[in-house]
Amino acid sequence: MAEGQTNFFRRQWKQDGVLALTARLILGAVFIYASLDKIAHPEAFAKDVYNYQILPDALISLTAMGLPWLELVIGIFLLIGLFREGSVSIVTLLLIVFFGAMVFNLARGLDIHCGCFHSSAQGTDGAPMAWYVFRDGLFLIPALYLFYRTFHRENGFRGSGFKVGGREAKQHQIPGK
Amino acid sequence: MKTEPMAGKIWRAAWQSVAMVVLAFAIGLLANESRSDRLALVADWSPAARLSTDTGDSMVVSLDEAKRLCLDEKAVFLDARSPEDFARGHIQCAKNVPWQGFETYMDRVWGVIPEDAWIVTYCDGETCSLSEDLAKELDSMGYKKVKVLLNGWTRWVEAGLPVERGDEGRRIAGKDTDGSSS
Repeated sequence: MAEGQTNFFRRQWKQDGVLALTARLILGAVFIYASLDKIAHPEAFAKDVYNYQILPDALISLTAMGLPWLELVIGIFLLIGLFREGSVSIVTLLLIVFFGAMVFNLARGLDIHCGCFHSSAQGTDGAPMAWYVFRDGLFLIPALYLFYRTFHRENGFRGSGFKVGGREAKQHQIPGK
Repeated sequence: MKTEPMAGKIWRAAWQSVAMVVLAFAIGLLANESRSDRLALVADWSPAARLSTDTGDSMVVSLDEAKRLCLDEKAVFLDARSPEDFARGHIQCAKNVPWQGFETYMDRVWGVIPEDAWIVTYCDGETCSLSEDLAKELDSMGYKKVKVLLNGWTRWVEAGLPVERGDEGRRIAGKDTDGSSS
């Protein structure tokens, strides 16, 4: 088992390259970190979600309960490299949705609390919305890179990583390419 | 796996995404159930609904009413923002009781303001929760006539109502503030 795991990570390193691995680890860590405060303070996060004034009232509680856990799950899966296609897709989608939500509110002049890393229980931190948009844009760079690597590179990573060991690695080589 | 690579990836992305979303929301719902302060699955998160007391009364005060309470000196206004924001400009009849670090400012309230006094808390911004948190804390401390002026500072200034500058010790009366003074 231990040998299998070593192979698994070695294979990740070789197949992904340093850039993709780093991107994955950074995004994973950021999403896990971002989820913790929101998981601890669902009510404050629900207010933040309400403040964005995008979702209908009926979906606010559900979002406040589930979204932080989704961020945690995605973060963990990104870190350990399981469910690669799924986690990369969701992380990119989430960042784009957050980006859109913030740009939308910036455009209509609503300067609200971001609710990105800390829910509003601690009060406003005074940073302008434009900074949050910029920061989200920064996170989009590794996410889009991973997305590209995962879905567009012909010899990119395939497989959800469930099977470990060298035999799996060989199966990834597509004949004739 | 015999599927064509791209289709295979999209298929995997789809089912993995669904699996992760279902997993996360299932954990989220279960975690919520296990909390003592669990959220209702459908709730009204508007400030007016959030700010109703146990008896069902709303703690939200209108600008007109707040204006009357201030000009007639019927209520104590509490500015829940930081001392820096307060010094840059605040409602004329306000004392500064920052919500951040409330414990250190509590002596401006406790024993100074009678429990049956009208209190209006405010901060700044559509979504600022400082005034709301302060009001709820005061309510739990026994103050029963606490009101919240939502987005108070901005609306007060926009209405051209009397403001002051300076911190708790040094007040400078003024009609207008642009926030650039220090």
